[in-house]
Amino acid sequence: MTDKHQHDHKHDDHAPLVVEDDAGNLEAQQITAALQALLVRRGLISAGEINLEVQKIESPGTHLGAKIIARAWADDSYRQRLLVNGKDGASELGIMVGEAQLEVVENTPEIHNLVVCTLCSCYPRSILGQPPSWYISKAYRARAVREPAAILEEFGLILPEGKKIRLHDSNADLRYLVLPERPAGTETLSEEQLASLVTRDSMIGVAVVAQPQSA
Amino acid sequence: MTKPDRIPARFQIGDRVQVLDLKLDGHIRTPSYIRGKTGTVIQFCGFFLNPEDLSVGKTAGPVYPLYRVSFAMNDLWSGYERPEDDELCIEVYDHWLDAPEA
Amino acid sequence: MRGYHDIGGEDAGPVPKEELPWLYWEKKVEAIRNLLGDATRRLVSLDELRHGFESFGIEKYQRYSFYRRRLEALIDTLEIKGVLTREELEAELAQVKHDWTPDTAGASNSDKA
Repeated sequence: MTDKHQHDHKHDDHAPLVVEDDAGNLEAQQITAALQALLVRRGLISAGEINLEVQKIESPGTHLGAKIIARAWADDSYRQRLLVNGKDGASELGIMVGEAQLEVVENTPEIHNLVVCTLCSCYPRSILGQPPSWYISKAYRARAVREPAAILEEFGLILPEGKKIRLHDSNADLRYLVLPERPAGTETLSEEQLASLVTRDSMIGVAVVAQPQSA
Repeated sequence: MTKPDRIPARFQIGDRVQVLDLKLDGHIRTPSYIRGKTGTVIQFCGFFLNPEDLSVGKTAGPVYPLYRVSFAMNDLWSGYERPEDDELCIEVYDHWLDAPEA
Repeated sequence: MRGYHDIGGEDAGPVPKEELPWLYWEKKVEAIRNLLGDATRRLVSLDELRHGFESFGIEKYQRYSFYRRRLEALIDTLEIKGVLTREELEAELAQVKHDWTPDTAGASNSDKA
C-alpha cells in the first residue's frame, strides 16, 4: 500500500509532539504553584482538595477498562447490556463513569473499531485515565480519520482483507471504548486472567488482543 | 433550577442528513471535514447543552438533540484507498443538519 | 475561518510513539480545573477551557505542550471571569520564584498529600 500523500516534511513548523524542556517544565511548575497560591488565598480551593483530586484522577487506568472487557467476554448478557448502555454497564462493576455517556463499540470478525478525537483529546478518562501522548498528537488526530489503515499499520496492525474499519470521532458528549475480539485459546481462563490480556491500545483500537502464549 | 427548553428533534434513525457549513464563530464541535457531507443517522444520543453556548458561560440552555451520524469514508474522501466499506461515526447537533439537497 | 485545532483530514507525519510521563504539575492543572468546574464553583467548564486554547492563537497552540496549553487557557478564562488578572498572577509568580529552592521543587513534585 503506497502513501498517497506527497507532502513536504516540514511538519507544520513544530515538533510532532511538543514536549516541554526542563526550563519549560520549571516555568510551568512555578506558574501552577502561583495559580494555586492565588486561588487558595481567594478561598476558591484548598490545597487538601487539590491533593485529593490529583489522587482521584490518577486512579483510573487500563485495569478498569480491562475489567469491563473481561466481564463482557465471560458473560454474554452483560456484554449485551454494556453495548446498550456503557455507563450503566460500567457501574455494574463499580466503575463510575464521569462523562455524559459511554459508548462501547464491539469488534467483530467483520468490523474493526478505532477511536480518535480530531478536535482535541476526548477520551474515556474516568475509566482509562489519561490518554497516551500519541492519541493527542497532531499526526494521529489529523490522519486517523483520513487514512486509518496506514495508522494501524504504524502500530503494527494489519487487518485481514475484507474487514471493515469503523471510525469514531469523539467530538461531543459520548466517550468510546472498544470491546476487542476475544482471542482464541482463552476458553478456560478466569475473568482475572482474561483482564490481564487486555491492553490500553486494544481499547482505543490501534491494537487487537493477542492470543496468549500457550500455558 | 428550571429545566432548560428543548429544541425539538427533527431526525430519526435511518434518516439521511447533510451537515451544514454554518458560519459560526466560537467553540464549534462540528469539524470541517464533514461539512457539506451526507450521512445516515444511526443513533439518537439525547438532549445536551450546546458547547457553543457553554464555552461562553451560557448554561441555562436550551438543550439540543444530538445524533450519531455515519458517513461512508468513500463519501468523505475522494480517492479513499481501501475497497472495504469503511465508515466514520461522529456526533452532530440537530442545528448542524438538514435533509440532503435534492 | 477553520480553527487551527480543526485538523481532521490534514496531512501530517508519522504518529510519534514516545510515551510521555504525566508530570505532577500537569496533574495539578487538571485537578485545579476539575475543582473550579465542579457543581459548587462552576467557574471554568471544559467547554470554556477548550474555547480558551482554540482562541489564544496558533502560535501559542503550536508552541506549548498539551498541558501547558490547558494551563494558559485556564488562566485566560479565569481572567475573563474576573477571578484574577495576569498582573496579579505575575506578582504571585515573582514571589514563587523568589522562594523557590530545590526543596520547593521536590515538594511540588511530590505525589504525597
